[in-house]
Amino acid sequence: MEDNVLKVRGLRKSFGDRDATVPVLADLSFELHSAGSLALMGRSGSGKSTLLNILCGLEQPDAGELTLFGQDHRQIDWQQLRRERIGVVFQEANLMPALSLLDNVRLRASLAGQPESRCQHWLDVLDIGALAQRFPDQVSGGQRQRAALAMVFAMSPSLILADEPTGSLDRVTADDVADSLFRLQAETGCGLILATHDPELASRCEKILDLAHQAADQNTGQSGL
Amino acid sequence: MTAFSALLSHYRRHPWQGIALALLMLMATALWTGIYHLTSQARASLSQSERVVEARYQVQRVDGAALSVEDFVTLRRQGLCLMPWLEVLPEGESRRVIGVDPLAALCFQGQADVVSFDGQPLRGDPFMDIADAAALPARQAQLFLIVDPDTGELSADYRITDFSLAPDTGQLGDSFLLNLDALSVLVLLITGLLLRSVYLLSLSQRRDSFALLHRFGVSPRRVRGHLVAELVGLAALTLMPGILLGQLLANALAGGFASVMEGLFDSRQFVTSGNSWLMPALVMVTLLLLVCAVDWLIPEKLRKAFAVANRSGGLSLLLLVAGGAGVWLAANLLFLFGSVALMLAGAGLLMPWCLSVLSSRLAQASKQPFRRWWWAEFGVLCRRLALPLVALQLSLAMVLAVQALVTTFEATFDHWLGQRLSADYYLEVPTDADGQVAVDWLEQNLPESSGAIWHRVLRGQGQLDVSGHEQSVDIFAVAPVGALVSDWRLIESAGQPWQRLAAGQGVMVNEQLAYRHELAAGDSVQLTLAGQSLRLPVLGVYPDYGRPAGEILLAADQLPDDFSVSFESFSISPGEVDIEVITEALSALWQEPALTLRDNRSIRDLANRVFEQTFMLTRAMTMLTLVLAAVALLLMGWVFLSTRLWYFRLLAVWGTARTGIFLSLLTLALTVSVSAAALALPVGIGLTWVLVQRINPLAFGWSLPLDLYPGFWLELLGLALLIGLCIGLLMRRQLGRPAVRPSVTGTITGGER
Repeated sequence: MEDNVLKVRGLRKSFGDRDATVPVLADLSFELHSAGSLALMGRSGSGKSTLLNILCGLEQPDAGELTLFGQDHRQIDWQQLRRERIGVVFQEANLMPALSLLDNVRLRASLAGQPESRCQHWLDVLDIGALAQRFPDQVSGGQRQRAALAMVFAMSPSLILADEPTGSLDRVTADDVADSLFRLQAETGCGLILATHDPELASRCEKILDLAHQAADQNTGQSGL
Repeated sequence: MTAFSALLSHYRRHPWQGIALALLMLMATALWTGIYHLTSQARASLSQSERVVEARYQVQRVDGAALSVEDFVTLRRQGLCLMPWLEVLPEGESRRVIGVDPLAALCFQGQADVVSFDGQPLRGDPFMDIADAAALPARQAQLFLIVDPDTGELSADYRITDFSLAPDTGQLGDSFLLNLDALSVLVLLITGLLLRSVYLLSLSQRRDSFALLHRFGVSPRRVRGHLVAELVGLAALTLMPGILLGQLLANALAGGFASVMEGLFDSRQFVTSGNSWLMPALVMVTLLLLVCAVDWLIPEKLRKAFAVANRSGGLSLLLLVAGGAGVWLAANLLFLFGSVALMLAGAGLLMPWCLSVLSSRLAQASKQPFRRWWWAEFGVLCRRLALPLVALQLSLAMVLAVQALVTTFEATFDHWLGQRLSADYYLEVPTDADGQVAVDWLEQNLPESSGAIWHRVLRGQGQLDVSGHEQSVDIFAVAPVGALVSDWRLIESAGQPWQRLAAGQGVMVNEQLAYRHELAAGDSVQLTLAGQSLRLPVLGVYPDYGRPAGEILLAADQLPDDFSVSFESFSISPGEVDIEVITEALSALWQEPALTLRDNRSIRDLANRVFEQTFMLTRAMTMLTLVLAAVALLLMGWVFLSTRLWYFRLLAVWGTARTGIFLSLLTLALTVSVSAAALALPVGIGLTWVLVQRINPLAFGWSLPLDLYPGFWLELLGLALLIGLCIGLLMRRQLGRPAVRPSVTGTITGGER
């Protein structure tokens, strides 16, 4: 595994048109080594989700350098990277509603070219093995997030991007989910970038990047996909 | 901001959904209004036409002689209520006029009206004063005396029979109206399904808003009230334009119907006034309220019981089987239509269940997770779009059935007409001319070696004894019985029917007569011709489409000498001989300078044109219904898939290429629409069978062969593919836009499984 998973220098991103441009990310620089973890903090609209979208190739930066796994972002095959090396976890709705939890994990593993035989194992590891045949609307929010983590780890990721993964959960469930995330991240040795409002959760990461000063009080209106 | 405006704000955020809903309502209203107006106009026109030619009673002379003014005077003096009816075909005209005496008709007042002129002036269209009609230079003229049989006793020289010489086209008109009525009921059903699906979609789109309002203390009853108010408001906006559009549609199509009426009744009888807006508006508002209120009107327990009963498809199968048995056994039209409704309900309920089971089985059987996801998503789509899919299925089935019926009818009618008009020319024998003179000339001058073929046709009335009751029947006598009739297709026959008919050993009956009196080849009929009673075997049953009257075909040699011939003609294929040679010779023999000679090909063309126009409306209406259902599925599919956009974008996050996602979406939309078409096929075939083999015989006495047209199935399949393609392309546009993350409050919007 490469020593430096991620290197960002002078990254800029703004939204809007020629008349009204709203800067979201300005001269952002940071690094993440393999198996390292980084928390992105900041108010709503500070650019956490935008940065995560850039880091998985769903959006392009306006300027700056981004090197991922030693490759310049302009040369990266983002589809292949997302399919095989980058796992993304959102606050909610990470699962296909028409598939059981196990089939969701199988789908994600198969897209990444990983064996389906280990899918049940990941659900077991996350303590929801007994719910494998349930559908997303038949389990709790915490169990859904655990299933989302199972999907991510089933693809053997090199980097996990988590956007408020515990944001919609109660404290106890959020702690459980966070425990699972950090434990498995440590066990598998993948990198983790976590966007959160929660200082306690952020403190569990090796580094914290506060985006509040980057674009304070700006709401880009962009969230999700 | 009130709760109501909060609910309405959904359409501010999603204006296209609101526009789609309004568009659907407008189109549904226009379509139903169009059919309603057309049916009302057709019914009023037919009713007016039938009133004037209604089958009544007439007086005939026992000796078969033509009636005269002296007979009228004699019978009036005997105290009978009579009205003279003089049918005249003026020189140089192709339409008859009817001379009547309104003063003489006064004695019928207070009873069933014999002839209602609705205050119309008698301008010869077709009625005129009898004195004026008698003064016209006529090619043909015949006097009838219509009688009220309860007003006195007849002397022995006269008898009362049915008045059936008027162009009795009532059943053909009824057939047409039955088509339109059945169509309008089916369209109303499809419209109801579409409105219901739009309503349910607007509900599912706003579940989060309802949940929020509930948390804010707004009662569910109040939310429902707001929803009804919203729909009624929308209806108020769309109903009137829809009704206006429907009226325009009806008027645009009415021209074709007017031509049909003209063809049937020899006169313009089409009623175009009375475009009422009230009835369509009431029906649409009631339908709208019904489809919205059905959840509150039917107790939840009953709805749950219904859902449980249909979980394994049992209820739909039961309805289908019960409907099928009813259709098979139905002895009257009402029962038959009820059974068809049951069958359609069963088929409609069965389709979503079938697709759901199919998708679930295929998902389970798929080893590949992506394929499993695809089938699971297909199942969701089928369940969520069940109502518009059923509407599309029923529309496709209806179009398929009507198309098969019409094409079969046209093909059969064309074939039948080809047999009936197999001679090149048709020559009328003038009134008072002697047909036998022409027979003698033709026998002498048109030998077989000339390649000429001809026969003489004599028409009149006979009495058929049916279970001791005498009934008038048309007589169609031919001589010689030769090549012009011997290749007619017979529905059933006994050995060597044409040879035996030529030898005077029996008669043939038309299908209507056979159906009505359960006659078959080999049975005997008791026939009275000019007072002479004959008992003859039935040698065959021949098809006789579009004309409701019972008819008996026999060799002209069997007619008694004093048989009253109402009409006489010759069918001639002159072979090598020039037709002008024949007409000139006969003209000289009959001392009639201008003979009526018709080219049979032009008659055939004219007849085909009339039938084409008859079915043009049915075709147009079924196609419009199909377009409505297709647009509905298109809009609903688009709106519903938009709510699933997040999950398709999730695939992009997981590294699936955008082309791959688009192809998945496209194949989903195509498979859904093609499934509806595939499942419409058996329903359409069943409906075709019901139309040609059950409804037609029950309603009109004649059936049509069950012909299927696979080429048209392919056309419908192409249309279904087009609908799927349009949904796919609309979604492609959506894929490029940011997807809204589904909410997790309550039931996940767009996250149904």
